[in-house]
Amino acid sequence: MNDGTLVNLELLDLSLAYGLVLLAIALARLSRIGQEGQMLWASVRMVLQLFAVGYLLHFLFAVRSPLLVVAVLLVMGAFALQVMGARIKRRMPHFYRVVGTALFIGCGGVTFLFCALVVNYSPWYDPRYLIPLAGMIIGNSMNGASLAAERLAAEMRERRDEIETALCLGASGRQASEAAVRNAFRAALMPTVNTMAAMGIVSLPGMMTGQILSGTEPIIAVRYQIAIMCAITGAVAITAYLILLQGYRHYFSKAHQLEGN
Amino acid sequence: MAVTEGDEKTMLRLEKISVTRDGNDGAQLLLLDDISFSAQSGKITAVIGPSGGGKSTLIRLINRLAEPGSGSVLIEGRDIAGIDPLQLRRMVALVPQKPFMFEGSVLDNLQRSFLYRKEAPPGAGSEEVRHALTLARFDHAMVQRDARSLSLGEQQRVSLARALITRPRVLLLDEPTSALDRRTADSLAATFQEICRSQGLTVILVTHDLRLAARVADYCLYLEAGRILEQGSVEDLLGHPKCAELRRFLAEPSAKGE
Repeated sequence: MNDGTLVNLELLDLSLAYGLVLLAIALARLSRIGQEGQMLWASVRMVLQLFAVGYLLHFLFAVRSPLLVVAVLLVMGAFALQVMGARIKRRMPHFYRVVGTALFIGCGGVTFLFCALVVNYSPWYDPRYLIPLAGMIIGNSMNGASLAAERLAAEMRERRDEIETALCLGASGRQASEAAVRNAFRAALMPTVNTMAAMGIVSLPGMMTGQILSGTEPIIAVRYQIAIMCAITGAVAITAYLILLQGYRHYFSKAHQLEGN
Repeated sequence: MAVTEGDEKTMLRLEKISVTRDGNDGAQLLLLDDISFSAQSGKITAVIGPSGGGKSTLIRLINRLAEPGSGSVLIEGRDIAGIDPLQLRRMVALVPQKPFMFEGSVLDNLQRSFLYRKEAPPGAGSEEVRHALTLARFDHAMVQRDARSLSLGEQQRVSLARALITRPRVLLLDEPTSALDRRTADSLAATFQEICRSQGLTVILVTHDLRLAARVADYCLYLEAGRILEQGSVEDLLGHPKCAELRRFLAEPSAKGE
């Protein structure tokens, strides 16, 4: 025990830990899986990227400029959007506009409410709270958002006959795509709901273990974990809902015609 | 058959309809080229021709599932571009090639169009349901059956009843028998004819099956590569074709529904 203060890791300690990666690479070489180069490169990237982000945070914590903190959050959001756009197989029409807006409102709104009302620290832009909390919210919403967007595009394609039959019977675009939208929303929420249900039994969440390691009382760490999980669930739901609310419209013309024939 | 019978009137008119689509190479593809024709109530107008000739594109314009590039569709003299599409689709019903059955019973399927309009749906014993099922010659005793468990022929009758329950004026049939065996197709064709006569409906029947067209249609259009190459009474077109394309089409075995 060291009275709640953290044991510092010296560079020597780090090199010892890195020895484990070298051991893994040696094992890979021994079993000839041909991944040694990639493993080495990945481990080097990890070290460089984490140090870079560490110094960036160090700098942000020292400067404590609200403008700079907000700018970093916007870059994080834009990066999330770009990653999603590149990874998704079938993009819905106006993907960047629809998903970008939803991400901005969903994550921005929940982060703001969470920081202002729940955690209630000051100043509001304190990077020590705002950046990790927003990061977790954005990262999880990104997954929910890709699921919603991807599933909607797939459903609209697979259900063409159903949607056109409904339109022929006098359904509006919204009514005709009801089942597709419902399935996409369910798909977007599923991972978050599963994570909540399994929490504490199947996995000890990263934020909680991190806090415990750095000396936080476990009960306090648990409270934080519960709060952030609720915020994540809210953000995922709002983001996915907004994507679907706007997304389905772009499949129909003003005259309730399914586009893309 | 006499072409003019009493006070027969023009229900539907297409004027100079053209439809283009952007091709893969950026060029404009002409799907329909200057199409004009009229259809009378109480008559079946068959649109025949090879697949890819624009038949389905044409029929989708009439209930505004798609929009023409230029030209207009008139119903009782009124341009449909000025009619709310959701209203129009009650007046102009379309029965697609493959019947899609929504989850639930036959009754659930018949109630759909009422629910879309937020109206109280008619019950199993209601006049609307009986009327629609009788017209489509679907056994009323099967109204609570799971729609997806029915045979394809029965599903097509449910699809027909579902289209007729809003009492449309125009009925569009898009290859309605192509997925069915010959006996089922023939009995369904007879149903189309009865409905058209008894309800004074204007029926547009898209088909590549000449047997079906010869059996039920009054008028006929021959559509190839987006153009009407010949039109007239079904006897004239099928019995005395004038243009070389139609003569060639009539000689193909696939056009005889085999």
